[in-house]
Amino acid sequence: MLVSTGRDLTSQVLPPRSLFVNFPMGNPFGAPGQIDQQHRILRQALELTWEITEPGTIVDLDEAWPVSFAEKVEKSLLAL
Amino acid sequence: MEPVRYVDLLNQRYQQQGFPPYEWTVNTDTPLTPPTKPLAECRVSMLTSGGVSHCSMPAWDAHARNDFRLDEVDPGAGAADFTVNDSYYDTTDASIDVNCVFPIDRLREQAAAGLIRSVAPRLWSGFMGRIYSRSKVVNESGPALFAELVSDEVDLFLLVPA
Repeated sequence: MLVSTGRDLTSQVLPPRSLFVNFPMGNPFGAPGQIDQQHRILRQALELTWEITEPGTIVDLDEAWPVSFAEKVEKSLLAL
Repeated sequence: MEPVRYVDLLNQRYQQQGFPPYEWTVNTDTPLTPPTKPLAECRVSMLTSGGVSHCSMPAWDAHARNDFRLDEVDPGAGAADFTVNDSYYDTTDASIDVNCVFPIDRLREQAAAGLIRSVAPRLWSGFMGRIYSRSKVVNESGPALFAELVSDEVDLFLLVPA
């Protein structure tokens, strides 16, 4: 079971099962100190192992990062 | 916010730097093994490739390329005992709370709450940075890790790229 922050990257690699979290890279389980959020995401990832029956399925987490994270994306690209 | 198009952005970045087009791994099919027992009866392990290292281990090279080091992580380790070194993403939040990328506390708590039977005797940190030697992953390091998971009687393996 893969927990991903890069949907297009994941769709290319095609793991058996994936949960896509539309959060910045570095925050697949949410924000620091947000214990309930971290538990929600972890629990969904674990439970999806039984719910996904079609190989290669990517499920989209139904939560949004509260602000734009374009700046974080730019920072990660600068590392190349 | 729409999902970030990392493939396009990285292709542009590589092109700007004068590199030839990157040959991405694109798989067209994948196996899926149905679970054979309920989640509450499962032993769970987890891998981070986010440059997470326990304080007893050397820090990861944040700019690593083809680093095949693989750390065993004690699942009882405290979240505050880790450092995060990875130049390929913003590690600010992970450095404050490693559970953002490696929910080691949360996994223990889910075991205590009975969602899963247990956390495996070893968690894992590795495959970080840029890995260009795909054949080594497919033919050596991936199967080697799989053998360790079998040895630990792991039922479910969570993989978390940062």
